[in-house]
Amino acid sequence: MSEQTTVEKEDTQLNEQTKEWQPSILAILCNWCSYAGADLAGSARMQYPETVRIVRVPCSGRADPMFVLKGFQKGFDGVMVLGCHPGDCHYAKGNYYARRRIAMTQDLLKALGIPAERFHFEWVSASEGNRFSALIKEFTRQLQELGPFEGVDR
Amino acid sequence: MIQDTIRQEAKKALESGEVRMVIGWGAGSVPFKTTPVFVDNPQDTDKLIWNPACTNNLAVYLTKLARDGKVGIVAKPCDVRSIVTLIREKQVKRENVFIIGVGCGGVVDATSLQNGDVKLREITSLEWDGGDLLVTTETTKTKLSAAAVLREQCKECDDRTPSVSDVSIGEAVVRASDLKIEIPGLSEDRQKYWAEQFSRCIRCYACRQVCPACYCETCFCDRIEPKWTAKKATTDEAWMFHATRAMHLVGRCISCGECERVCPVGIPAVELARELNAIAKERYGFEAGDPQADKPLLGNYQENDVDPAHHSE
Repeated sequence: MSEQTTVEKEDTQLNEQTKEWQPSILAILCNWCSYAGADLAGSARMQYPETVRIVRVPCSGRADPMFVLKGFQKGFDGVMVLGCHPGDCHYAKGNYYARRRIAMTQDLLKALGIPAERFHFEWVSASEGNRFSALIKEFTRQLQELGPFEGVDR
Repeated sequence: MIQDTIRQEAKKALESGEVRMVIGWGAGSVPFKTTPVFVDNPQDTDKLIWNPACTNNLAVYLTKLARDGKVGIVAKPCDVRSIVTLIREKQVKRENVFIIGVGCGGVVDATSLQNGDVKLREITSLEWDGGDLLVTTETTKTKLSAAAVLREQCKECDDRTPSVSDVSIGEAVVRASDLKIEIPGLSEDRQKYWAEQFSRCIRCYACRQVCPACYCETCFCDRIEPKWTAKKATTDEAWMFHATRAMHLVGRCISCGECERVCPVGIPAVELARELNAIAKERYGFEAGDPQADKPLLGNYQENDVDPAHHSE
């Protein structure tokens, strides 16, 4: 048998990953960078687990902490917020506001006792399709290690 | 005496026509409790009182009463922090408030008096005597330690004189840190702790009603579309309400602890916002009650702010 190509290798790994329990991920994506990055991952046929449910927002500055809280209340195993890299915001400074707000949201989750590993915040640009797919794989694996979220009323 | 000075200042302000009303504390139904009073006649200024039971944060009334026209308000240092926040957030105009600032040695938790030997109904006066509370009844004088009777948030508060005021009265010398009161740490398993706390919530919204920072005309929890929280009193809906409220209070809550005081089921709602504010102070150098800060915490940014990305690496 011939040696596997990189893509095939990744596919095999993904198949291994999908045999396990599948977490549910709520991903809040900025329209201009991260959503376009996710789109690129799709159109370039990069593989990533089908664990993610995407909500498109105009800007990471629109990612209300309530979206994150609602995600956990409704029982998502993990929530992620992705936005344009600092300095690259379509609206010039939306992601700067998001940066403070999301930092405080992380602290709130910590204060509430939600494990920090269940919330992920990253900067993903429109050209980083591979990074998007890698992030979803990574986050999915992280959540698989943690196991299902017991819910906020446990 | 502080109480007389408050009355004189209120009278002066009302008689000169500078303010149309003075908001202050008046005698409650029992001697160890007080109630908000709204004095609009100079003859009624003797209704105003001052003692260690003057607990209400009266700034909550300003958003409605100081909207058109100037009102006077008797304010402790923590109440002044609330007023400062309201002014920064453009809910109240500075020129519409006449602040009668009062130095404060902390306020008393009325329920804690029940634990002593004091006959509550016979109490005639409460006053601070150094680090102790002097409780006087018709027949007895009892000294109770501050650690036993202070409200929780007063045990950590060193803000003894109002940072902003038009008239400043009295000065309390004993700071909370001088009393060296031990504050118990929070539970290890936070998730379980809060689930237990929130499971008691009956969603009466008293915490929101009493909060000077909760001035939204329509609270998110009263909205039907989008429905952020359902009306049912289940733990997860209560979690959503309290978690969101804590997030909304980041950089705005001044830890007066009123939400905790009015809660009929004893949820320590102020803990979350207090914890977040401590982080905000350390990370962004922002304090909610600081008159020097010109923009709200989350309505501002610096290009070199801490980056919350890559936290898992």
